[in-house]
Amino acid sequence: MRPLRIGLTLRILGVLVVLGVAVFPLYWMIVTALSSNSDLFAEKARLVPDFSQFGVFIDALAEGKALGWLRNSLVIAVGTTVLSIGLGIPLGYALSRFSFWGKAIVTVLLLFTQMLPEALMVVPLFSLFRRFGLLDSLGGLILVNSAFVLPIVALILKGAIDGIPRALEESARVDGARPLTVLTRINVPLIAPSIAATAVIAFFHAWNEYVFAVTFIFTPGKQPASVGIANFIGELGTPIQTVMAVAFMFTLPAVVFYLFAQRHVVAGMTAGAVKG
Amino acid sequence: MTVLKQQQTSGSRSETRRRGSPRGSKWTPYLFLAPAAVFILVFQVVPLIQEIFLSFTRTSLLNPTRSTWVGLDNFTRIFGDEDFRRTLLTTFIYVIVCVVGAVGAGLAVALLLNKGFRGRGWARALVTIPWAAPGIAVALIATWMLNPDYGIVNRFLDAVGLGVPGGAILDSPTYALPAILATTIWQLFPFTSVVLLSALQSVPPDLTEAATVDGAGRWWTFRAVTWQVIKPTIGLLAILMTIWSLRRFELIWLMTKGGPVGATETLVIDLYSEAFDSKQLGSAAAIGMVGVVVSLIVVAGSRFVARAAEREAR
Repeated sequence: MRPLRIGLTLRILGVLVVLGVAVFPLYWMIVTALSSNSDLFAEKARLVPDFSQFGVFIDALAEGKALGWLRNSLVIAVGTTVLSIGLGIPLGYALSRFSFWGKAIVTVLLLFTQMLPEALMVVPLFSLFRRFGLLDSLGGLILVNSAFVLPIVALILKGAIDGIPRALEESARVDGARPLTVLTRINVPLIAPSIAATAVIAFFHAWNEYVFAVTFIFTPGKQPASVGIANFIGELGTPIQTVMAVAFMFTLPAVVFYLFAQRHVVAGMTAGAVKG
Repeated sequence: MTVLKQQQTSGSRSETRRRGSPRGSKWTPYLFLAPAAVFILVFQVVPLIQEIFLSFTRTSLLNPTRSTWVGLDNFTRIFGDEDFRRTLLTTFIYVIVCVVGAVGAGLAVALLLNKGFRGRGWARALVTIPWAAPGIAVALIATWMLNPDYGIVNRFLDAVGLGVPGGAILDSPTYALPAILATTIWQLFPFTSVVLLSALQSVPPDLTEAATVDGAGRWWTFRAVTWQVIKPTIGLLAILMTIWSLRRFELIWLMTKGGPVGATETLVIDLYSEAFDSKQLGSAAAIGMVGVVVSLIVVAGSRFVARAAEREAR
């Protein structure tokens, strides 16, 4: 009985330490946002949030800039989600259900493009965007973010369609349904959980994206939150409480959505990234 | 008139398709993938080819339409440059520590969470937080926590007597890279641990039980049973972590910009500052190509090793 107790205690302690490490930085974000100036710069740090300072969140939003950033991020993220899934579903379907010339090339390309760093592609894409007048527009960012998240989206959806028995499609086809109808009426509803997972991936890929946003957007009013928040780093003008309040509002949706979709997202990312 | 005719023919064609081949014509798959293929071609393949071309030229950011072909000059120059060799070394250290750290920490946490206990679901969910948090926010909070004057990390280190002199961890050539590594691993370990946790749950409990009944110690059981089951997952995670680490930009860029004096400069950081600070698009592209080739070698090499291991197992 005794050694079991000790083992269990150690395990619980270990779990608590891991949870502390995992959660602390975000907790610290809240504490910092909800600290008065005197607490922040005091000799001894205040370790718990001061909820009387809650007004900082309202002030940060009321000031207007942050709200605009978050709105721009939302536009980019929704656009990227819709476009990448809209392109990814038919691509995944073609890869899963048909054999055709060039299939291997497409698959290799989808795996290979995942290795390309954004920072490498930013230069040629900049000149491409300049030629087509896509610079300084949220639409341009939607296009480029979709291109970068499309491979993983398509591969995850292909894997999901692989898991659906073909027999379901055959019966629909016997009834005379065309391939597109089969896809939208039979497959899409069945892979809804995977679509939801890829939606989370695509949405937050765009929500978090920084390199293209900082290089392609010039008008301050069009900046997404990732750029706005990054500009806070090393800048001294804005009170740190406001900075943390904005960063927290930027972080919270990502954390909440990932908590819900966690299992699907993780399974999808490992499957889509390597197996193909 | 022509429109009408087309409609008629397309109508009859789809009818024959329905009767003849239930899978549609042989063009059907291409119709499905065409939009995505065009997209990837325009936004990935063409820019990549341009970038490969750029790496053989001297091109200035200020006048990017004018390129002078210089052959392999950029490559011989960067490999002859001591700073670049240091960047390569930093990149390798960064990648290897990230892979080992993230997979190792992930495995430890997965083993910890593998046994059932009350509140495990909650623990599992909370552990995912670092991975879900946007990289920008992570860079911001890490920079604030490492602030030399008011950062909680320095306050803590001072309190336990391990304080860095002056406290400026991110300005120190010795401590900046470890700090960035710690932040990166903090962000990655939830991913590896969730993946490994699901791998651990596919370990047949009868097998571990049988091993324990046979008198095997815990370590032996782990090596003979558990490790064998999760080995492919570990390999897969190692490849993923390598690719991701070779690509990682904003965390390092926002925390140190590759400094102080190049101590945290990885290939991607080097390429970005070469393009936008030094305005040398040619050599920036060459640096980027080195990174892509390293990624390719890692992926191809690991496939080769995996296949060899499979053959041996047979």
